[in-house]
Amino acid sequence: MTTKNEEVAISVRDIHKNFVLPQNKNSSFKHVVVNIVKKNNIVTQKVLDGVSFDIHKGDFFGIIGRNGSGKSTILKLIAGVYSPNSGEIAINGGLTPFIELGVGFNPELSGRDNVFLNGALLGFNRKQMNAMYDEIVEFAELEPFMDQKIKNYSSGMQVRLAFSIAIKAENDILMFDEVLAVGDANFQEKCLNQFIKYKKEGKTIVLVTHDMGSIRRFCNRAALLDHGKLEYIGNPEGAINRYNELNQI
Amino acid sequence: MRYLNPRNRAILSEMVRTDFKIRYQNSVLGYLWTLLKPLFLFTILYVVFTYIIPLGKGVEHYPVYLLLGVVLWNFFVESTTIGAGSVVAKGDLIRKISIPRYLVVISSSFSALINLAFSLVVVFIFALFNGIEPSLSWLLIFPLIVELFAFALGVSFYLSALFVKFRDVSYIWEILIQAGFYATPVIYPITKVPVKFEKYLFINPLSQIIQDARYAIVTPTSGTIWSTVHSIFVLTPFVVIILTIIFGGMYFKKNSKNFAEDI
Repeated sequence: MTTKNEEVAISVRDIHKNFVLPQNKNSSFKHVVVNIVKKNNIVTQKVLDGVSFDIHKGDFFGIIGRNGSGKSTILKLIAGVYSPNSGEIAINGGLTPFIELGVGFNPELSGRDNVFLNGALLGFNRKQMNAMYDEIVEFAELEPFMDQKIKNYSSGMQVRLAFSIAIKAENDILMFDEVLAVGDANFQEKCLNQFIKYKKEGKTIVLVTHDMGSIRRFCNRAALLDHGKLEYIGNPEGAINRYNELNQI
Repeated sequence: MRYLNPRNRAILSEMVRTDFKIRYQNSVLGYLWTLLKPLFLFTILYVVFTYIIPLGKGVEHYPVYLLLGVVLWNFFVESTTIGAGSVVAKGDLIRKISIPRYLVVISSSFSALINLAFSLVVVFIFALFNGIEPSLSWLLIFPLIVELFAFALGVSFYLSALFVKFRDVSYIWEILIQAGFYATPVIYPITKVPVKFEKYLFINPLSQIIQDARYAIVTPTSGTIWSTVHSIFVLTPFVVIILTIIFGGMYFKKNSKNFAEDI
């Protein structure tokens, strides 16, 4: 079930990313002075060490790896939140990343106001949001709560609202980080249905997850990261097998 | 305009809206406070500086003169103080999506600008009550606000990027603001400053802006840079502002790509 379409959607070329470890960060002038005097070497952590891969148009691409393997970092680099120390990332098409659902939700605002705020961050103006508003509320099944402040929502309600806005994103490349980890069975079912819909529409999806079930079910290709390096890329079953081997060592 | 394309404008307008909605939440009088706050401040200043310390003796319409200065000064303080912390305050957003970082700073300046607009309405009402005739020269306030906004924005860009790395910035800025308050003719009339120092006060763009605004609205005898400095140096405050914007903007741009991991 490989969709052979060689047009590249996301190209990642030899990405290196280091983080300065927080305890050595100069967060006040005193630290700066102390560090100059002591000539402290800055301790950096290599999070990604020369990672390259291509994601093709129409791919449902999974990224797996153990904790700290660098998978969320690569997602943030592709999303443009981080910038790499070296290497290049090229994106061919419109990309909407979901590092987290409901980014920018303000707890003091009503559900309604948050829909507009979150929508703006996804690139919709008020007019477009007004047109979509009823659909979003209906999909979230939160109609009676829209005038309440979002801080009074349960976390499940917040995620439902966020997800209902997120699926309005019209770009042809979408990235998700661990969305399936939140929400109840009903919500997960909705997520899965949405993924099936995306697949039918031929969208390019990048999914970072620990859930091997959804990798098997949706992905046509997968990458396994380990210690900041690309350990495996290819068919999902191969990536999962290699992942299980790593966990046994 | 590449920087303020429709998408960014939508984000900006939602951010400003949010700030405004949040600010007076849980207060009984709500938005009314944007008018009440300057009104009470003015009353206090009026009483103190006309009856207790008559600093402005001999200045025409001194109460209005004073209020106008305070309002413009407060805008600068508010927008730079909130602006300085804006990137860190919106850290959650910056760590998770790649919206242009400068929007965060601009939105905080716009929120302060809305407050300035309300305060100015109160100033104009005060002016009318004090018997100042409205005139076309009042319109000069608009270019002056643009100038003030640009200066505050340039400073905010620099401070907000610096604040990500050094949290001491907010304390240092507070102290500088205190010093600046006395280095700027806010409460004292500039005409009381010894003539040989007067021209140096105008290196500070805020002095030029406040005095020009007073000239336009309150009294033509306010004493402006144009009546004090008669050489090419009359352009000094404008050069200061342009350099602030260029330097602040470049520093912000250079550092903004690392905000997500530095916050």
